[in-house]
Amino acid sequence: MAVLANKQRAIKISSRQILNAVFIGIGAVAVFLVFDAIIGGKCDSKCVIGTLNQAIRYAAPVALAAYCGLMCERAAVINIGIEGMMLTAAMVGYGVNVYAFTWLKAGGMDPALAGDASRWLSLLLAIAASGLMALLHGVVSIRFKADQIISGTVINILALGITGYFYRQYLAQDIPPGPGTFAPFDIPLLAQIPILGPIVFQGQKPIVYFMMIVTLLIHYVLFFTPWGLRTRAVGENPRAADTLGINVFRVRYINVLLGGALAGFAGAWFTLEAVDVFNPQMTNGLGFIGLAAMIFGNWSPFGALAGALIFGLGNTITTTISIFRPDIPSQIPQMLPYVLTILVLTGFVGRAIPPAADGQPYEKQ
Amino acid sequence: MRTKIFVFAALLTLVALALAACAAPAATTGKLRVGLITDVGGVNDKSFNQSAWEGAQKGAKEFGWDIKFIESKQPTDYEKNIDQFATEKYDVLITVGFLMGDATAIKAKQYPNIKFAIVDNAYFPTKGVAYCDDTKKDCYDDGGLKNVTSLMFQEDQVGFLAGVLAGGMTKTGTVCTVSGMEIPPVVRFVVGFQNGAKWIKPDVKTLNVYIPSFIDPAKGKETGQSMIAQGCDVVFGVGGNTGNGGLLAAKEKGLMAIGVDVDQYNTYPEVKGALLSSAAKNVDAAVYNYLKSVNAKSSKAGVFTANLQNGGVGLAPFHDWDSKIPQTVKDKIKTATEDLKSGKLATGYK
Repeated sequence: MAVLANKQRAIKISSRQILNAVFIGIGAVAVFLVFDAIIGGKCDSKCVIGTLNQAIRYAAPVALAAYCGLMCERAAVINIGIEGMMLTAAMVGYGVNVYAFTWLKAGGMDPALAGDASRWLSLLLAIAASGLMALLHGVVSIRFKADQIISGTVINILALGITGYFYRQYLAQDIPPGPGTFAPFDIPLLAQIPILGPIVFQGQKPIVYFMMIVTLLIHYVLFFTPWGLRTRAVGENPRAADTLGINVFRVRYINVLLGGALAGFAGAWFTLEAVDVFNPQMTNGLGFIGLAAMIFGNWSPFGALAGALIFGLGNTITTTISIFRPDIPSQIPQMLPYVLTILVLTGFVGRAIPPAADGQPYEKQ
Repeated sequence: MRTKIFVFAALLTLVALALAACAAPAATTGKLRVGLITDVGGVNDKSFNQSAWEGAQKGAKEFGWDIKFIESKQPTDYEKNIDQFATEKYDVLITVGFLMGDATAIKAKQYPNIKFAIVDNAYFPTKGVAYCDDTKKDCYDDGGLKNVTSLMFQEDQVGFLAGVLAGGMTKTGTVCTVSGMEIPPVVRFVVGFQNGAKWIKPDVKTLNVYIPSFIDPAKGKETGQSMIAQGCDVVFGVGGNTGNGGLLAAKEKGLMAIGVDVDQYNTYPEVKGALLSSAAKNVDAAVYNYLKSVNAKSSKAGVFTANLQNGGVGLAPFHDWDSKIPQTVKDKIKTATEDLKSGKLATGYK
């Protein structure tokens, strides 16, 4: 019964999402009109397409962080350690990239090939590192049933310490030049679609495209597969799920690890896609913004994506306004992403309903 | 319950280990002890803080002093970090960065026996400021900051030269700055740069965006890309790691970039293919000279300004671009340098 109720709830949420999507659409047009008025119509169609393209790029780490939170919380494990997992992944991604490249090149490998090899290897290891942090979170909060907020906080602090240490010891001075970030590419065929193609499918890097695919994938897995049904059951009513023979602990572990892997992608975005440097605290709170996007999206992938896109758009619009209107004090456009977030959260979303068992450790009787 | 306590203890141990790994052992000799407190960029920021630390190390090594640094993780750490050095009985403290101004002044009054040097902040009597209000003639000898030396730089001068270089090299007629927080040293760089570009090329278009952080290279790069999309082909990155993101944006598009604070050809070699030069302020020299004056017991309170006249600021070498920069542009830079030195030319920063 409980499982059935879950399914109904999922459907109900998605109908509200459609309504939200309409609101967001109207809001986006309104924001654009205001934006256009502020910069005095100086942003032509090429500039608008560029701005949107960039908003998607900047939304990618936020969306991936949101999906990490989503995977965990759908199985009732709160994860506020996303920021720490991302930071660890960013550091590992950068370090492995630089050193693997140097070793491969010294071993006589063609530099272009060595660059590709080390980038993919460092992406893998970044995901693994983040997964390791997630495993720690899982063991502490699932096996030992500790408070999940504390465990998440500890992971954030631990990540600061670990990355700070390795940075100081191995990544700060006299490091060999790295192979740089992934190269941008267009998706064949899809990039040719008018308007949509240049905005979505042109000039992005692998993790951004991966983010798009994974959005669809999570939606499908969560709402249309037995695994998703089990995950939601564990998140809403673990006792009932257990009675039906679902291994609650196993479901939670796997979801937390998957979440960790997603946070790994988000972290790798910083050092393998955005810039080829690492500095302490470079994730700059985007993991927490991801959590906000998840709540904004009512624990659904498309909703979370919308939240991430609003933040990304707020950020790029800020930049565009600053460029065209240097006479406006810089602090005012800088507030925009946050003002936008508050408006959207209070205006459109309504009450966000977390999974019923969210944050509660499961005691087997 | 027992498992919870166990877990908590285990996590605590982990964190303690992580922190212990960062801390250096305290020295216990009778030598003069120098402490340096960085801003959030940290001693390896490839620019400003790193330069200050190098200058301090050079001085300490030469005079045989003990030296240690603490990195501020957030602005609330400034006073705490000064307190930490004070309780460990340090004799000279160097605080790096404009943002540490208030913390340094407050603590300098609290610890009158410690000598303070602050990089990038000068104090002026201001109405309503508790440590130095407008009834004082000056903040140092009259206002009570008798133990504070301000190490200042005329960033607008070297920014102007960078602007001349950028204005001379641009093909699109648009140059831009990816800037950090809107604080006086950054504003001086930006204003100088824009006026320099206009001086050599009056119809040049200048773009600028301030980003409220010095440690956000990802945002810096996005901003750089936005401005490049608007036609900018010479990016001047002014703002620690945030500015570095702007340099990277230019490098990836095969355009030109100008670094800041130190010769970034050496500190950020990944972008050297795009790097025309760097608008360097010799923070290391300023810190070193200050320590030298402490050693000679001749250090004084007040403001010391490094500028083109005394070689405290200047353009870094052109390196790989040396042969590609036309002689006419080099001549213009030389003229501007001479005229700024003699006062014939103003940078436009007030």
